[in-house]
Amino acid sequence: MTSLATIWAEARRNPVMPAVWTLAAGLVAYVFVTGGYLIAVLHFAAIYVVFVTGLNIFMGYAGQVSFGHNAFAAISGYTSAVLTANHGWEPLPAAGLGLLGALTCALIVGYPTLRLRGHYLAMATLAIGLIVYEVAVQWQAVTQGYMGISGIPPLGIGRFTVTSDRAILVLLMAFALIGVLAAAGIRRSRLGRAFVAIAGSEDAARALGIDVARYKLIAFLISAFYAAVAGSLFVHAVGFVSPEVYGLHMVVLAFTMLYVGGIGTIAGAALGALVVALLPETVRRFSEYQDLAYGALLILILIYAPGGLASLSRLWSARRKEGA
Amino acid sequence: MLELVAQSIVSGIAIGCVYGLIGIGFCVIYNASGIVNFAQGAFVMLGGMVTYVGLTRYGLPLPLAALMSIVIVAALGVVIERIVIRPLWNRNSTAFVMILATLAAQIVIERLTLLAIGDQPRTLPMFTDVPPLRIAGLAFSYQFFWIVGCSALVIAGLAWFFAATKTGKAMRACAINADAAALQGIPVSRMLALSFALSAALGALAGVLVTPTQYTAFNVGVPFAISGFIAAIVGGFGRPLGALVGGVLLGVGQSLAVVFLGAAFKNVAALSILLLFLFVRPTGVLGAAK
Amino acid sequence: MTLLRLDAVTRRFGGLVAVDNVSLDIAAQGVTAIIGPNGAGKTTLFNCISGFTAPSAGRVEFAGADITGLAAEEIARRGLVRTFQLVQLFEHLSVLENVKVGRHLHTKGGLGSALLPHRAHTIEASVETFARDLLRKVGLDAQADTLAGVLPYGQKRLLEIARALAAEPKLLMLDEPAAGLNRGETTRLADLIRQIVALGVTVLLIEHDMSFVMNIADRLAVLDFGRLIAAGTPAEVQKNPDVIAAYLGTMEAAHA
Repeated sequence: MTSLATIWAEARRNPVMPAVWTLAAGLVAYVFVTGGYLIAVLHFAAIYVVFVTGLNIFMGYAGQVSFGHNAFAAISGYTSAVLTANHGWEPLPAAGLGLLGALTCALIVGYPTLRLRGHYLAMATLAIGLIVYEVAVQWQAVTQGYMGISGIPPLGIGRFTVTSDRAILVLLMAFALIGVLAAAGIRRSRLGRAFVAIAGSEDAARALGIDVARYKLIAFLISAFYAAVAGSLFVHAVGFVSPEVYGLHMVVLAFTMLYVGGIGTIAGAALGALVVALLPETVRRFSEYQDLAYGALLILILIYAPGGLASLSRLWSARRKEGA
Repeated sequence: MLELVAQSIVSGIAIGCVYGLIGIGFCVIYNASGIVNFAQGAFVMLGGMVTYVGLTRYGLPLPLAALMSIVIVAALGVVIERIVIRPLWNRNSTAFVMILATLAAQIVIERLTLLAIGDQPRTLPMFTDVPPLRIAGLAFSYQFFWIVGCSALVIAGLAWFFAATKTGKAMRACAINADAAALQGIPVSRMLALSFALSAALGALAGVLVTPTQYTAFNVGVPFAISGFIAAIVGGFGRPLGALVGGVLLGVGQSLAVVFLGAAFKNVAALSILLLFLFVRPTGVLGAAK
Repeated sequence: MTLLRLDAVTRRFGGLVAVDNVSLDIAAQGVTAIIGPNGAGKTTLFNCISGFTAPSAGRVEFAGADITGLAAEEIARRGLVRTFQLVQLFEHLSVLENVKVGRHLHTKGGLGSALLPHRAHTIEASVETFARDLLRKVGLDAQADTLAGVLPYGQKRLLEIARALAAEPKLLMLDEPAAGLNRGETTRLADLIRQIVALGVTVLLIEHDMSFVMNIADRLAVLDFGRLIAAGTPAEVQKNPDVIAAYLGTMEAAHA
């Protein structure tokens, strides 16, 4: 099955999903046409779609835990920022190096970390995220600490740059779409089956020949890749970066999106990002009430609707179909 | 140089005891329920903050403000347990969901404090306003004695509580086997609330003790929580004494890192110690609790 | 031909000796049953053989190669697949998808084929066909799209065996497959095992249900306190005084 067919199949089984997808597409189209401030909100949403879709592969499919994927976004984002703004590199090679750096870090850190379980794994990944945050704050010579780096050039190749808000939106939405399609493709493949098997029962997976340690690492690397891409996209779309961008705020936001959408489903991650990004009026100005609202919202969702939007629609179906 | 090292060991011990108290708070809740309460740092922050408000806005004498603060924060601990933890507990949520919920609670408390009090760092006066004591050429501020003294009292008090009182033994029973405890007539849910109250009180005490030596602000919660967690892990996530030992080891390790590597490495050093223990010896220095 | 050879296999847990110097040859073809009172070390022996725990001493040889202490997934790769005493299904996946996971060893493809639909298509088509065929053979094809978690216990057992079969094992190890099954389900299980043997798969199972074992096993091995106290045909083992002592008449009761 192609990725599109996968999403369609998942959508068909949950009656509410097609309506939601159409609504989302309509919303994006509307914002594109009318323009204005909401375009910036959708930039943010699209970037988070990428980040959260990747996190969903590690946490939703493979059933693992990570409080620290913001680290990979930060590594790639800061590499992009420093190389393009301070050293005049072209965006694409800079991002390439950023991705490489993030993946290398994920590989080094992944080996010992993924042997951990439960709250040990949660805290180890949190520690990794916090270490990267600290480096961003303290290594002032490179990152300029809390002040951040501004004047980051937009994405582009040579003289062809993507500068208008609408053009950036199209580009970011394209990345988001590719990310979602890739995640769908992974889910339906042998690789994705190995992931969900690990989430179901590690022992049974091993008894069937699945190298659990290796596949956990692969899931980790794939999700780190998504996080890194999101990280670099952010700096070019916004033009500015500071440690706060990739701090605990990102972690809480990402989890809120993941849980609003419904952890484990392909649609969930994407829709959660869209919904949560659009909820508050402002996004770029980190309003004082925003984090408070996200925190409270997350608690409410965890208590009353831990399956997210995707599970609400499942209440309609009498018999749940092929688990996504 | 040697004097610098020795002096930083002294201050490391003091801050280490504070970390230890926070870590004991983690252990109390973890042992009663298996939950890692990420909101622990918020209790520390509020310990200092509420005392500050009592002192400045209501003109209370310091001891009274401190005591009142600990009681209020303990009550808050129960509130958190009731509205955030209990519903999840009743739904059999996974450990991860509960950690996430407590992290969200930490953020909510943090932001509410920011809205109520603003982002200016606040501090408290030293408990005893006297020049430091000089022993063997090293300076020991009186706050040092307050911190170490209170920590020792706390350890002794907790040991007595868990071993000799009915409630304390009931809490230990819950930690070992909640179902069996329930069958014995122990009100498990009340024990959970009590563990949060106790843990919050410990956090608040830590906050009150440490604020005179540095400052408190709406966002100091998370770094303290992490330090407390590291103390608990290094100590083995079991006995209170272990967390104190872990805290002191962390405090001293951190101080030495600052001396030899620079102030910028303070948090990175702590986090690296955490990772080291998680990777190499998650059961901690003293080994896992029984 | 000996398919599995156990040579003085021992497993200690601190002071406790769970498996004590067990030596046994299991021939290819047919059904061998390992029986013994509770706590006799049967599952621990299974774990030692299948790589879920490493023996403290001794050797395990499978299809002529030394597999002692190898990782479980590596042993599975060589054709030894086991099921678990407490059924370990992928509860949140459908029945069909559970079986598809079983095809992991006999298909190839990682991230590349996941992202390139063309390559994925052929692999997926073959996996789908194989899985559906297998479900039809065991009688679960009607439930193909049902979530594994909602199946009744007997069918969960069946699914776990079907999933193991999807891996095309040379040796299938079943840990108490009849536990929790009613009479009808047990009969169907026995039939299924005979079908599996007819396909050329060797079956090694642990079981408590004596009438089931007597019915299905070609050879028996009896464990007591981790030690092998008898091995042979059911008729031979039944008469063994040590076995009778260990079981206190259970076997005669089963034949009554």
